[in-house]
Amino acid sequence: MTREQYVKQLDLLKESVLSLGEMVELIFRDSMTSVINLDVKLAEKTLALEPEVDKLEEDIEASVFDLLALQQPMASDLRLVVSTLKITADLRRIVGLSINIAKIPGRMEGGHVKPLIDTKKMADAAAFMLENSLKAFEAQDVELARTAAKRDEEVDKLFYAVWVELIEMMAKDTSIISRATNLLFLIRYLERIADHCCNICESVVYLATAERVKLN
Amino acid sequence: MTEGIQNVSKPQIKVENLNLWYGEKQALKNVSMNIPKNSITALIGPSGCGKSTFIRCLNRMNDLINNCKIEGKVTIESDNIYGPDVDVVDLRKSVGMVFQKPNPFPMSIYDNVAYGPRIHGANRKDLDGIVEQALHSAAIWDEVSDRLKSPALSLSGGQQQRLCIARTLAVKPKIILFDEPTSALDPISTLRIEDLTMNLKKDYTIVIVTHNMQQAARISDYTGFFLMGELIEFGQTKQIFQNPREKSTEDYITGRFG
Repeated sequence: MTREQYVKQLDLLKESVLSLGEMVELIFRDSMTSVINLDVKLAEKTLALEPEVDKLEEDIEASVFDLLALQQPMASDLRLVVSTLKITADLRRIVGLSINIAKIPGRMEGGHVKPLIDTKKMADAAAFMLENSLKAFEAQDVELARTAAKRDEEVDKLFYAVWVELIEMMAKDTSIISRATNLLFLIRYLERIADHCCNICESVVYLATAERVKLN
Repeated sequence: MTEGIQNVSKPQIKVENLNLWYGEKQALKNVSMNIPKNSITALIGPSGCGKSTFIRCLNRMNDLINNCKIEGKVTIESDNIYGPDVDVVDLRKSVGMVFQKPNPFPMSIYDNVAYGPRIHGANRKDLDGIVEQALHSAAIWDEVSDRLKSPALSLSGGQQQRLCIARTLAVKPKIILFDEPTSALDPISTLRIEDLTMNLKKDYTIVIVTHNMQQAARISDYTGFFLMGELIEFGQTKQIFQNPREKSTEDYITGRFG
């Protein structure tokens, strides 16, 4: 095997994306737990992780630029490097949305306006998509990427159902508008997180097959 | 190799089942390839893979080697170039070649370019125009127009190589073969030659052998990967460098070879 250092750099790049992914999963999970239980302490702990994510993102970007400028990756290496950059951007957006979620408990006075049943289902589906899109990236598993992206339909359906429900509730009782709007934002964030997971799945398909597909 | 035959409606160069032996050693194994007109085709592969041997078949340069046996068919614009009535001198006029090391003749810049047209019987009064045009096309006119009578060997390596290209262009070929034309040149001269080849493909079909994969990626429309005498894969350059079909192509272009 030639180019040992280069191959090592590529492996490290992939590992850093997976570490970033683990951190994103943690942040997303804790942000959801904090909003479901309105746990301000956990929310604050979650918010404090953002700088660490930024650092990892910067490191990944720097490695990508080094590899492109100094090693001229080709073929599947090129696809790995480019996908890494795209996946990192999607993961960073998921963190941004999770941070928005973790900010909700701090402004929710008086508890939720309704039990979060469908919202939890949305979060579970999004968590499944995130976890499996990362697994699919690790194994370059196209089938798993497609399976993960498929759950986006469920998220979208739940989004519209909860949205309609909340609008109806607000129309009946204007005193809940502020709290219900927080929930509206929450389901919107979840819907966007699922979309970013779909993007990651698309990047995985491109990485493995060089085919560009739309999965949502 | 079926990989070599891509969908080209009217290839200018059509190579079918080409086999070549140097004595007992088989250097090309059943190579088939269609090369479209006005395109740049790059041939890559490790040393000894057959890529130079292959382009030397396109203007019958291998005829000059003892013990060299060739089977198969090479058609250029519907003429079988290995046919019995082919004039090899005419063939090499229409299929020009530029080599790895610049090899100007030990004569003036002007005479280097005029040499080919003269032996092919160009009219004396046309010569100045032919020389000037060839030097223009080879992007060297501005550097030598005031010293056409100076010795060609006084030029820099990069200039000498462009002069050799001008010398090739002067006899109005249809096809130009480049055998590692920039491996003896510095990076700037290399980029000049690359720009030049990209401009030349408007008027000529270009086949280039290169060890520099970035060069193949930068300039060519099609890329063929050779390994141990076989054409392993042939396709659009974008496809070869982003998504090669064959594992050995992938290994070679990502540097995982050996």
